Order: sequence, then C-alpha cells, then structure tokens
Amino acid sequence: MERMRKYYLAIIRRLLITFFCLSVVPIFSFAWIMKGTVEETNVIKLEKLAQATIDHNAQLISAFLREKQELLQLLVSLNQEGAFFDQKQVEKMFLAISGNGDIVDLLVVDADGDQQSYVGPYRTLVAGKSYQDAAWFTETMLSGMHVSHMFSGYRNVPHFVVAVTDPLKSFVLRATINSSIFNSLLHSAQLGPKSDAFIVNRAGEFQTPSLLQRTKLNETEKLLLSFNLRNETVITANEVYATRWLINDHWLLILKADIGDSLDFYLQIRNRVILIVAVIIVLSLAGATYTSIALARRLEKADKEHAANSMQYAHVEKMATIGRLAAGIAHEINNPLQMITSQAGWIAELLPDEDPAQVRNFDEYRKSVEQIRHHVKRAGTITHRLLGFSRKISTENDRVQINDLVEETLSFVQKEAENNNITIIKNYADNLPPTLTDGPQVQQVLLNLLNNALDAVGQRGEVALRTSLCAGNRLCIECGDNGPGIRPEDLKRIFDPFFTTKETDKGTGLGLYISYNIVKKLGGTITAENKQGGGALFTVKLPVVTLNQQG
Amino acid sequence: MIEFNVLVVDDEDDFREVTTKRLTKRGLKVWDAAGGAKALEVIEETRIDVVLLDVKMPGMDGIETLRHIRSLKPLIEVVLLTGHASVDSGIEGMKLGAFDYLMKPIELEPLLEKLMDAYEKKRLREQKIEMAQMKKHMSMPS
Repeated sequence: MERMRKYYLAIIRRLLITFFCLSVVPIFSFAWIMKGTVEETNVIKLEKLAQATIDHNAQLISAFLREKQELLQLLVSLNQEGAFFDQKQVEKMFLAISGNGDIVDLLVVDADGDQQSYVGPYRTLVAGKSYQDAAWFTETMLSGMHVSHMFSGYRNVPHFVVAVTDPLKSFVLRATINSSIFNSLLHSAQLGPKSDAFIVNRAGEFQTPSLLQRTKLNETEKLLLSFNLRNETVITANEVYATRWLINDHWLLILKADIGDSLDFYLQIRNRVILIVAVIIVLSLAGATYTSIALARRLEKADKEHAANSMQYAHVEKMATIGRLAAGIAHEINNPLQMITSQAGWIAELLPDEDPAQVRNFDEYRKSVEQIRHHVKRAGTITHRLLGFSRKISTENDRVQINDLVEETLSFVQKEAENNNITIIKNYADNLPPTLTDGPQVQQVLLNLLNNALDAVGQRGEVALRTSLCAGNRLCIECGDNGPGIRPEDLKRIFDPFFTTKETDKGTGLGLYISYNIVKKLGGTITAENKQGGGALFTVKLPVVTLNQQG
Repeated sequence: MIEFNVLVVDDEDDFREVTTKRLTKRGLKVWDAAGGAKALEVIEETRIDVVLLDVKMPGMDGIETLRHIRSLKPLIEVVLLTGHASVDSGIEGMKLGAFDYLMKPIELEPLLEKLMDAYEKKRLREQKIEMAQMKKHMSMPS
C-alpha cells in the first residue's frame, strides 16, 4: 500500500514538473527577452538623447567662444593701432563689449610683452607688469590667437582668457572671460541625478566643475581623453558617454548619462512583467497541481477498478475451472458406480434362484447387496448434484412473482423455524415486476439459503428476508441472519464445492455451489458478505426478463 | 412381459455383459455392440426395436451414432445413457430424436421402464403406420 502511495506521489510529482516546465519556461524566456529588449531600447534612447544634448551644448559653447574671439578681432580690425595704447580708448572699447558681464577685464600688451592699457578690477596688480615670458603671450604672438585653460584667478571665480593680436603683431589684446556662464549651460545638459556634464582640457583638468562635484576623472573618462574620439558614444555597463572636442581640440566636453537614471520607465515595465509572470506562475502552479492530483486520482481509481475486475474475473475463472474439474471427476466416478450397481443388481436378481436352505448366509447376502445399492445411490446423488443435474431438461421459464416464490419457499421451513423459536422478518417490496425465470430452481436456491440461515442462528435467532428492485433493473433477494457470520477467510471459498462449515454428516458442501451455478445459469449473481452488526447476508440478484426479451 | 429386441451399445465390456444378462433374464432379446460402427451393422442385419446408447464412446460417439440410426432406421427408438455432466448432450440427443436419456448410475428397474416406454412408443407408431397403410390399400380401387 505504501509502495502504491509512493508510486502515485511520484506520478503527481512528475506531472507537476512537466506541467510547470511547460507553462513557466516559455513565460520566463519571454519575460527575459522582453527585459533585454526594453533595456536595449532604453540605452539606445539614452544614447540618442546624449548625442542631441551634447551637440546642442557643444554648439552653444563653441558659438560663445567664437563670438568672444570675433569680438576681439573686430575691435582689433576696427581701431587704429594707437588706440589700444590709449587707456581712455580701451576703456571705451571695454564698455562697448562688456555689456552682459561676460568679460571681466581687457588688457593690452605691446610686442615686447609690456602692459600698455588695462580695464578691469585688477588694475593695481597688473600695472607695469611684463608678460614677455607668459605662455599665452608667446602663443598669441606666434599663432595670432590664444584661448587659455580655466583658472580661478584672483577672485576665485573660474574664468579663462582669450587673446588676439593684430595682423602686424604689434600688440596683443587679451580679454578675461567669466566662464560661469558655461556652468549654467552644462547644468541644462544634466540628463539625470547621476548624470554629469563637464569640460576638461587635454591634461584632464576640469575646466568646468563636475556637476557631481567630482575632482578626478574616472578610468573611462581618461580613456576617452586619450583615444581622441570624435562624435562617438561609448556605452559601459552603467553609463553612456558622449564627447565633443571644442575650440581646435583644446577642450573636451564630456557628457555622462547614467543608465540607471533613465530606467524609471523600464523599471515600471519590468515590475509589471514580473507581476504578470508571478501571477502566471502561481496560476499555472495551482493548475498543474490540480490537474496532476486529479489525473493521479483518476489513475488510482482506474487501477483499483482494474484490480477489482481482475479479482472478479479470477473468481469467475476459478469457479469455472472447479466446475469443469468437478464435472470430469463426477463423470469418471459415474461409470464405475454404474458397474457396481449393475453387478449388485445382478446378484440380487440371481439370489432368488438359490435355495436358501443351501446358502448359509442367504439373508446376509441379500442385505449386503441392498446396502451396496443404497450407497451407490447415495454416491450417485452426490455426483448428480455436483453435475448440477436436473431431471427437468428443458428449463421452462415461467412468469414468476418473486414475492410469491419467497413466501412459498418460506412455507417449507416455517415448521422448523417455529420449532426453534426463530423469528422470520419479511420485508417485501410491492412494486416488483414479474420475471420469466425457472421458478423451482430459484426456489432451490432460496431453500439452500434459508436452511443455511436457520442452521446458523440456532435457537431463538432472527432471519430476515427482503426483496427489492435494485440498480440495473434487477430483482434483489436478500437473506440475512443474526448468526455468527462468515469468517473472512471463508468468504472466498464459500461457493466452492464441498466447502462446508457444518458438521461432517450434516452438510455436503454443495448447497451454495449449486445455488451459485443455478443463479449464474439464470443470468443473475449471488454474493455473500457479513453484516455490520454481525451475521451473514446473502444477496441474490436476478434479471427482470419480459416475454419480448426472452431469446 | 412384452418381448422386444434391444441393442445395448457401450464401450465398456463389463457393463454390456451384465446389462445383457439382466435384460435377457427379464425376457428381452438383447444384442450388444462395443461401438457405433458395430451398432449400425447390427441394426442393418437385425430387427431392433430399442437401442440403449452410451453417449461417450471412443471413435464414433453416441450422438454421431444416433444420427446414423435416425437416418437408417427412423422408427427405432433410442434411449441415451450418459455418465456425462452436461445435460446439454442429453438435450442435443433429444433434439435429434432420441426417446429420452438416463444418467449413470441407474438401477435396472427404471432403465427397463424407460426401454419399455420407448418400445411402446415405437409400437404405437408402427400401428398407426399400419393403419394408414391399410386405409390406403382399402381406399384404392382394385
């Protein structure tokens, strides 16, 4: 039993796994692919955004720088050379160009590097200073133009200088430009709370402060700087980098967008997908469990039915085999019995020819022959009963009302029951249809059952007879008693021939065997069981046969 | 005692012997045959009234023999004797026209009774046939 239980559990488990895999694996792969796609889409979108933003900013910054250069160049080309050495004239120029406060000061240095005029906040500091050795001065003198790196200067405000010289290189005009305008510009380039935008020079120094207040470049940024990439984006695990070189590769504008920042939308979708997947998994798990258990139950039921059928089949087989065996034996015995009775009969016939006076034991012989014939008859009765022999050859089927038949049979044993103070409880159904069957044979079966019941209850017992119409339009005749019942081990053998629990010379063990065969022949069934409250219960079920159905 | 001719067919010699002896003692004329083929021979040669026929025999069995007897001499009555279980073979025999059948073991008295009944039937039928023939002859203009 334990083994079977384990077997069914294994089936449930296997079904469960199969069902689960079948439903969950596709959903899972779908969700996984979905997740990847959304992620990729997100990165592509971010990349495009970064490109657009950086393009925009690079343009703005370039335009700003170009404007400042052009402004200075314009001043140089519009004014006489002498005007730049005149403090008054330079002040006028300063007023003309420093409208929006971008330009902090304006400095004019002659070709020898000496300061000629200055307009700005640091007049005293720069007075009479020589710039002959300053890098920006030499570079301007060489290439006609210079843009410095950012520096904080005296006031601790980030700024840078733009210097130009006239075509004859007779002086240098230098403007210091407040670069805080870049900072606000780059603020607008921040794509998310963890995103960054800043400008570095070739040396990797921050030209504008990192929006995240970083002071050092990370490895990727250093690489970007050294690889000298143009208009390309670099995507790392967590960030998207976009870069643009500004003013002749002087500065590098770096825009760093954090992928995580842009994931809000993606996360929303992901959470929804996870939720759906979870719901589906739970549902399919429940469904799989239910189906598996249901299937296993079905299987178990089918197996049990099969086992029951097999057992029933085996029983029928056994009875048939026993029947054949018994018939064979009976036949083989009948022939020698015939010989014995014939020979004994012959002696009996010849005996009267003898002279009793001459045969000393004449009467003994006669008696002995009678005994032989008597016992042969007895043996013959047994073999005939064993063969289910009936003198009535053609079983004439009569219209039989079962209740009447039971009542009539009961009358045979009424006397015996009364003598033993046995109560007979009758419970007949009124609506029983008549059936075409062999009445006397049914009666024999009932008589067998009644006799057994009376023997079982002994004195002052109870025997109950009940008729009813049971499932499948069959007539049910139940014969119960309150005797000791049938031992469980005997239940299997109770219809076997020669099986008896009665005393040796009281029962032949053929009654129930014959009853079984009769009922079977009439198309019915007979079963034996023990009642819950004790005592045996025999049930005979006969088909209701009407005239039309009769073959 | 009415005297008539009986043929006992059985493969068991002892049974044939004792049955022949006993029936003869009762005043019948008895022939015997050990098998179906022999029985048919006897029927051809002798005027037999009733055949006592064992159903189960080696070679030609009782039912087969019965068929032959019915086709050879339809007027002969046959009583089947069987030690066999099945009532079916008895029924089959009766369908083929056997007078009746008996189960072994059987005492002589009922056997004799059955044989006499069979003979009586045969006699009555023969009488009827005779009467019919007589009528036929008488109605024929001579």
